[in-house]
Amino acid sequence: MRLAGASGLLTGFIATLATLATLATLAACSQRTGTAVPPQPAPSITVGTAPAPVQSVARTLDDAPRSLDPQLTTDIPSQRVLDDLFEGLATLSIDGQAVPGAAASWQQSADGLTWVFHLRPAARWSNGAPLTAEDFVYSWRREVDPKTGAGYAQALSPILNALDIALGHKSPESLGVEATDAHTLTVHLNAPTPYLLELLVQNYLYPVYRPAIERYGDDWVRPEHLVSNGAFTLQEDLIGARITLRPNPYYWDAAHVQLKSVVYFNMPDRAQAVLRFLAGDVQFTDSFAASQRPWLKSVLGEQVVNAPWLGIYMLAFNFKMPPFRDNPALRRALILAVDRAALTRYLKYDMYVPADTLMPPLTGYRPQHPAWATLARSDREALARRLYAEAGYSPKHPLRVDISTSVQGADERHYFEAVAAMWHSVLGAEVSVDESEYKVMSQNRELHRLPLFLDSWIGDFADPVNFLQLFYGDSSLNYGGYRNAGYDALLDRAAQEPDNTARYRLLEQAEALLNEDGVYIPLYYYSTRHLVKPYIQGWHSNLMDRNLSRYMYVLEHQGN
Amino acid sequence: MLRYIFRRVLESIPTLLLIVTIAFALLHLAPGGPFSADKAMLPEIQHGIEARYHLDEPLWRQYLRYLGDLAHGDLGPSFQYRNTSVNQIIANGFPVDLTVGLCAIALALLIGIPVGLNAAWHHHSWWDRVPMALAAAGISLPVFVIAPVLVLVFAVHLHWLPAGDWVRGSLSHLLLPVLALALPYIAYVARIVRGSALEVLGTAYIRTARAKGLPAHRILLHHALRPSLAAVVSFLGPTTAGVITISIVVETVFGLPGIGRFFVTGALNRDYTLVLGITILYGALIILFNLLADLCYAWIDPRVRLD
Repeated sequence: MRLAGASGLLTGFIATLATLATLATLAACSQRTGTAVPPQPAPSITVGTAPAPVQSVARTLDDAPRSLDPQLTTDIPSQRVLDDLFEGLATLSIDGQAVPGAAASWQQSADGLTWVFHLRPAARWSNGAPLTAEDFVYSWRREVDPKTGAGYAQALSPILNALDIALGHKSPESLGVEATDAHTLTVHLNAPTPYLLELLVQNYLYPVYRPAIERYGDDWVRPEHLVSNGAFTLQEDLIGARITLRPNPYYWDAAHVQLKSVVYFNMPDRAQAVLRFLAGDVQFTDSFAASQRPWLKSVLGEQVVNAPWLGIYMLAFNFKMPPFRDNPALRRALILAVDRAALTRYLKYDMYVPADTLMPPLTGYRPQHPAWATLARSDREALARRLYAEAGYSPKHPLRVDISTSVQGADERHYFEAVAAMWHSVLGAEVSVDESEYKVMSQNRELHRLPLFLDSWIGDFADPVNFLQLFYGDSSLNYGGYRNAGYDALLDRAAQEPDNTARYRLLEQAEALLNEDGVYIPLYYYSTRHLVKPYIQGWHSNLMDRNLSRYMYVLEHQGN
Repeated sequence: MLRYIFRRVLESIPTLLLIVTIAFALLHLAPGGPFSADKAMLPEIQHGIEARYHLDEPLWRQYLRYLGDLAHGDLGPSFQYRNTSVNQIIANGFPVDLTVGLCAIALALLIGIPVGLNAAWHHHSWWDRVPMALAAAGISLPVFVIAPVLVLVFAVHLHWLPAGDWVRGSLSHLLLPVLALALPYIAYVARIVRGSALEVLGTAYIRTARAKGLPAHRILLHHALRPSLAAVVSFLGPTTAGVITISIVVETVFGLPGIGRFFVTGALNRDYTLVLGITILYGALIILFNLLADLCYAWIDPRVRLD
């Protein structure tokens, strides 16, 4: 999913004012800790080993969930809440791995085209009704049915006929999924899909309760009507402010769910989330600004948690217009002339990891580091200058171009101004930062009007193809309009390859092509950025940055 | 009087219609649409969703459709928050804004009027200078500074009050947001009352009252208060509507479930119906409070005739 979207816009706009004020107050402390005054001690919290008498956790969301209808949303805040409310055939382990969920086991056919899932006989809806294979058939048909208006129906395209149904060419009944009996679901695929399990843990493949939808229409997601099959049920939904969950007594693993209450607060102002954490109102926050990191580390120590997250922040070139279209030397010069380590250290306070490939390390996939990654900085810059001259530019005829980004606040602007300054000092290029409203930027980007633009991607699942699809010729996510028949052919071949190791080798070749062509400018890999009280246990940082409340519990503690 | 109110209400209809029309046009002029999403959708799917919301129809038809629904009190579905209607969002959020806003105005009057009167009575003394200096500070300090500072002091450091959240009927959750919102208005009211009281206190009839030997509280409360309030009332009309509606920062800082935030995110996300719905509500509020102010004004100043 693309990040840095409209979800962060309130932070970037009105709330920035409040953020600035808070930051100013906090920064005063921060500067002090940086110079003379020693770091303030972490708030005194002593944690015991026994469970606390009150088992409840308050978490924050960076924005209000767009909907609690699993099929209609793709935003991260919705995903956080839906992960607690619903459960797919597979679910996420504490480490973010796909493990048996509503299905206890599954087999795939030798050709990888048919999967049979065996549902847990104990699986129930939160009203006690049994969860059946028919529920999944209904829900998945609903996802691809154009009448539903699910924005991400294309994600089901590995399933037989899914894309044709989404495009209106076939009826939803033709979807390649059937309930063999009440507890057996058979799924037919177009091609072997080794990452099918990763797909099953996406909220748009969660089951929904048909009687509630048919009876209440759009209102089925209100607390009085919503029936879910996950570890929790919806107790309260104060639109835009707070969502409260309580345990689902019919959940198949209810015996191991320890929390009696989970509250999600919507806090688009990240400085406010920090304040609420300091005040002890919330115990698990979703994110904080990089510029607050040094101060937070000094005050909160281990409560500040950063870990690798499956995402990339980059700039992408437009292959449909000058100056980058037919000028690989120019593209490579710009890629080389960025000092990622310095940018990450001084503007992101080491919160993120400098990137030279399209995705953070994935198990079994060999990272495709470009040749320049091993060059010393001076050599890289010398090569960049040579390529820049080769591309036809000089101090007298400098490259003039804008970096197009959306309005995300001063920190992000400074980051791109620093990138522009590097290109100026190394190459002499005249680059400025053009910020526009997110909707405007994304529209211009989709219409291929921007020569050089911000592109960021948070992986839906930990498979290289989820990142490589961004540059597939016909992909609607291919904003740069990059088209390379060889690249597309490799992805097509990979899609038909049943052996995962062989598939990864094909995808590695594809990524190597991106490096050769200089298609995008990698900047950094994302990191998770949580504040978590030490007495909240039962969660691990994971690449997917999805932490189900189902596993969490609270230890006895004093102070908050 | 009733005829006057009736006439004003009737007059407000074309005003609101104009507001709707301009807002509708501006929203549709803005680049980008409600469903140009983060994850670029397949064009066919995007068209399908747009058709569901009639966004594929010509603008004039969308406009007429909207007006038709509006006439039935239906503000339409929110585009940004699927499954939620604009009516639901307003019904959930507006009572919160109304509570916080009216409490803030009440607090501003309760503190501002006595302080202003007192300052005028003790003109040029410390009773005048100190509160007026504080008032100047109160006016200059924007709410986005006051609010986080209040949270830092009273919630984070002293742990006296919650740092945010909304619990219906809970005074402790109401206190900080009301204070943050009221502070500048306390200052405004105090300065306005002081100014007009100074003028009133200089008039002949007050001089006569003083000459008669009436005690200070009688002169202030019975003779000077009412005429001094006229300026406050005309200030309060548009201001009350403003306090209720422009508390976006307060809502954000304290995590209140009001509608101010929806107004902003709605505009940024091109949630046409949500923005239109809130615009109509705000427009109606401003008209309503101006009417109330005019009625109060006539009550305070008998020279004002309403017909």
